[in-house]
Amino acid sequence: MAFEAEDRASTANKAVPAGMTSADRDQSLVERAQQGDTEAFGELIEQHRNKARGLAERLTGDPHMADDVVQDALIRAFMHMGSLVDTSRFLPWFYRIVRNQANMRLRRGGPHRKEQPFVSILTSSETNSSRVDWEDLDSILYHLARTAADAATREHDPAEHLLRKEMYETIHSLLHCLSRKERDIFKAYFFRQLSPDEIADMYRMTTGSIYTYIHRSRQKLRKEHVRVSLGLLPEKKEGSGLARHKLLEMPAWQADPPIMSTFVSNIGRMLAAISDQWEAAEFMGVSTFAFRMKLSDKTTFADGIYVFDWRAVLQELMKEIGYEISILCGQLADSPVPLLGAVERFPIVLRIEEAVIPFIRKHIDVGKPVLYFDTRVTKPYVHEWSVIYGYDDGARVVHLTDPMLPEGKILSYDDVTDNPVRFLAGFGSKLEQAAGKTARRSRETRAREQALRTIRFAIDYAKNGCDYRPRTSYLNYTSGLAAYDRWIGHLQNPHIAPNRYGMGQLSAVYAEAKRYAALYLRGVLLDGEAMRLALLASEAYEQTADAMDELSRLVPFIRTSEVLSPDMREVCVVHLEKAKMFESAAIGYLEKSIAITAGEEGNGQ
Amino acid sequence: MKELRFMTEFQHLQQVADAKESFERANPGVTIVIEQSTDHFESKNAYLSDEAPDIIESGGWALFNNKDMFVDLNPYVADAEGLEKDFYEGPMRVARHNGMLPGLPVDVSIPLIVFNKEMFERAGLTFPAEDWTWDDFIEVGKKLTIRNEQGVASQFGFGIGVDIEWYEPFVFRNGGSYLSPDGSTARGYIDSQATIEAIRKMIDAYRVHGIIRKPDEPSEAGQLHEGFAMIFGFMWFTGGLIYHKIDDKFGVVGLPKMPGGDQSNMIYMGAAGIISKSQYPRLAWEFLRHYIIERHSWPLPITRSQAKERGLTDHRLWSRYMKELDCVRPSGYYLSEKWNSSRQLINEDINKMILNGTDVSQTLRSWTRFA
Repeated sequence: MAFEAEDRASTANKAVPAGMTSADRDQSLVERAQQGDTEAFGELIEQHRNKARGLAERLTGDPHMADDVVQDALIRAFMHMGSLVDTSRFLPWFYRIVRNQANMRLRRGGPHRKEQPFVSILTSSETNSSRVDWEDLDSILYHLARTAADAATREHDPAEHLLRKEMYETIHSLLHCLSRKERDIFKAYFFRQLSPDEIADMYRMTTGSIYTYIHRSRQKLRKEHVRVSLGLLPEKKEGSGLARHKLLEMPAWQADPPIMSTFVSNIGRMLAAISDQWEAAEFMGVSTFAFRMKLSDKTTFADGIYVFDWRAVLQELMKEIGYEISILCGQLADSPVPLLGAVERFPIVLRIEEAVIPFIRKHIDVGKPVLYFDTRVTKPYVHEWSVIYGYDDGARVVHLTDPMLPEGKILSYDDVTDNPVRFLAGFGSKLEQAAGKTARRSRETRAREQALRTIRFAIDYAKNGCDYRPRTSYLNYTSGLAAYDRWIGHLQNPHIAPNRYGMGQLSAVYAEAKRYAALYLRGVLLDGEAMRLALLASEAYEQTADAMDELSRLVPFIRTSEVLSPDMREVCVVHLEKAKMFESAAIGYLEKSIAITAGEEGNGQ
Repeated sequence: MKELRFMTEFQHLQQVADAKESFERANPGVTIVIEQSTDHFESKNAYLSDEAPDIIESGGWALFNNKDMFVDLNPYVADAEGLEKDFYEGPMRVARHNGMLPGLPVDVSIPLIVFNKEMFERAGLTFPAEDWTWDDFIEVGKKLTIRNEQGVASQFGFGIGVDIEWYEPFVFRNGGSYLSPDGSTARGYIDSQATIEAIRKMIDAYRVHGIIRKPDEPSEAGQLHEGFAMIFGFMWFTGGLIYHKIDDKFGVVGLPKMPGGDQSNMIYMGAAGIISKSQYPRLAWEFLRHYIIERHSWPLPITRSQAKERGLTDHRLWSRYMKELDCVRPSGYYLSEKWNSSRQLINEDINKMILNGTDVSQTLRSWTRFA
C-alpha cells in the first residue's frame, strides 16, 4: 500500500531484480528510453558503445570516422527510440543503424564531402553511374532515372535483373507515403521513363512544377526508406483508416464537487471512465490521502500538498485496487521545474513530441484515459493533476480536465511536450487475483484488512510523519500532527511572512481531506468496541474538519498578494490549535481501536 | 504615481519590507509591492504573464541563465561611480559567467572548515592552519573520530552531507572540474584523472578512513555543532553558531590544499534582477541598489565598503569568509541546467559508491550523460 511505498522511493521504477538477464535488462532500459528517459538511454549506450564503436571501426577502417558514425547512430537511435516495435531487438536494431550510418559516411567519402544533390542526380553524366548502391534510395532512383535503353542493356545481366526486380519491389513498398498525384508523376518519370516535359503536357502543368513534384516525392521516399530500413513504424497517414483522433466519454464521478486532492480525484475519474466506480470517501481512505497533511518548513506555501513519491504511491495504490499502471515521467532540464521536492529524482528527458504523444494515443485508442500533471492549469491553481481523455492529430491537441473548467479544455501537443514536469500514467490490464486461499477470502475480510492498513497508516503518519523526504538539502517539510505546529509556527514567527495564497489552498485541501477521513471511518468494517472507537475518531475528524473549514473561510483559496494581518494570524492560530486537538483525539481513538483489534486477533489464534 | 512590483522566492521579508519603507520615504510617488513566489517555476510563469513583476529575487541561479528575461545591469554598474571597484570580484565573476549581469547577488554563501576548538584541545591537536593539506586533514580527522566497541561513533572527524555540489570545491582544488568552462559537456572533465582522484579521496574518507558519517550510519554524535570536530560549514551554519551564542567554541579555516594546487572554492547565491518587461528599469535599479548595496539586507554583503562598515572584515569568523569570496568560481550547477537538474540522480550514485563500493572511475565516466 502507499504507506509502505515511500521508503522505497529511490529504487521504485528502476530496480532490476536479481537474476534478470542482460537481455531482460536491455529490454527494460529500452522501454524506459522509449518513454523519453535519457538516463535509461545513457545506460544502454554505456553498455553497448564500445562494441558499436568496434563495429563502426571495422566497417570504416577509420577510428575517427567510427566515433562520428557512433555519434550519428546514437542521435538517430534516440530520436526513433519510441518507434522500435520489438523492444527485445534493440541491439540488432542499433547495430543496423550503425551499419547504415557507416555506409552513408563511406559513400560520402568521409565527413567533409557533401552528399550528391538531387539536381545532379537528374543531370549527372554516366561517369559516376556504373554502380548501384542498393541500400541507398538516391542511388536507386538515379539508376531508375537513366534511359530505358541503358537499362535494357543491363537487363541481360542476371544479377542486375534480380536486383532490378528487388528495386521495383522496394520502391513500390514505399510509394504509399506519396499523395495520389505525386505517385502518378513519380511513376510516369521513373517507371515509364517519360520526360518532365511530357509529364507536364499530360497534367497541364509547367515543367518546373513537375520537377518540384519529383523533388518532393524523392524527399518523401527517402525519409520513408530510412524509416523502413531502421525497422520503425510507418507514419500514420491521412485516410489510412487508423484513428487520428479519439475522444473518450468522461462520466461524472460520484464526488461532486470534485475532490480538491486532485491526485485522488483524477484517478477516481479515470476509474469511472472504465466503469469502475469508487465511492469518494472510500477512495480518499484507501489512497490514504484523507490522512495526509504536509507543510513546507519555509512558510505557508502550498507545495507540501504535492510532495510525495508520485511513482511509488501511484503504483502501490493501483496494485492495491488491482490494476497495472504504466508511467511516463521525467523533467525538462532547460525550464524551471515546480515541486522540486517531488520531481528531483525524475530523469532528465528531451523535449520530443514522439516521447509523449504516442503514450497518450496508445491508451486513448484502447479506451483508457491518461493521468497527466498539468502545469498550465487555470488560476488560482498553479499545477494540478488532470485526465487526458482525447487527442486529435489533425488539430494537434489533447482534451483534458481542469479543476476550474467543468467542460474541460484542450492543450496543444507542443504544450504537452514543453511541460517541464512530464508525468503521465495509464492503466494496463486488471490484475488477476492470486489463486488459492487469498482469492477465496471474502470481500468483507479484504475490506476489513484494507481498513486496518489505512488506519495503521493514519496513526503512523500522524505521529511520525511522511517517510518520503526530498534529498535536496534546502527542501524540508513537516507532516502529520507536527504539521499543525509548523503551521502555527509560521503564523507566529515575526521574521517570516505567511504566504496567504498558499495558506488558502492548504486550508481548503486539508479541510476537505479531514471531512473525508470522518466519512471514511464511518464506513469501515470493524466490529464491536473497535468500531465504536472508529466512530468516535470519525466524530473527532468531523470537528477537525469544522475547525479547518473556519480557517478556509477566513483565508479563502484565491490568488492574492495581500498580506495576513497580525490579528488575522492570531485567529488562524486559534482554529489550527483546535483542529490539532481534535485530530490528536481522533488518532488516540484509532490507536485504541487498532489495539483492541490486535487483541481480538491474538485471542482468536 | 509609480508602482514597482518586487517578487521574491524568500520567506524572510523583513529586510525587503524595511528597504521598501525607506525607499518610498525617499521617493515620494513610488510604491513598492512585495509578492511571494514558491519557486522558480512560479517566478517564470509570472514573468511570462501579462502581469509580470518589475523585479524578481530568486534563491538560485536557474532563472538568471534565461536569455532575455533580465535587464543587463552592467551599464547601471558602470554608471555608478566606484561601485565596480567596491564589489568582491568572486561573486561578480560568477554572476557574469554568461557575459551579462542579470542580477545583483543575494544570499551569498561559501563553505569553509569550521572546527570545534574544544575537541582539538581534548585530542591534544593544534588547530588547523591555512597551509594544511588533504593528508593532514585525513590524519586529524581520524584522530578526532571516536567510536565505541560496537563501532558506533560518538564523535566524527568531519561533517559533510552526501551532495555532488559540496564535493566540487575539492575537485576544483585538485585541478579538476565537473564540466567544460562553457558547461556544454562533462566528457573529458568529470571523467578526468584530477576529478576522479578528488572524488575517490572523498569517498575514501567515508569508506576507508571512516571520518565522515555514512548515509544512515548509526550515530551518537548528535547534530553538526555537537559531535563533529570539523564541519563543512557554509555561512548559514556559522550564522547559526553566532545566533545561538556558541561561536566561541569554534574556529574557521580554509579548505585543505589538494595535490592539484588550485585554491578555488564554490559559492551559493541567488540574485535580484530587473525583468526585461519592466516599464521602470532605472527606478528598479535604484531600488535594487538601495536594498542590496546601501542597506544591510543580507548576512554576507557583496561590497567591500559594506563589509567594512559592518565590521565583518575584522570579525574573527566572518573575516575569513569575506576573504574567501574572491576565490570562488562557477560550479557545474551554474553552467548547465541539465547537470543541475540531475543532482539527486548523481547523489544516488554517490550513495552507492559510499555504501556499496561501486567503482569511482566507472561511475564518474557514466556521469558524462548528465551534461
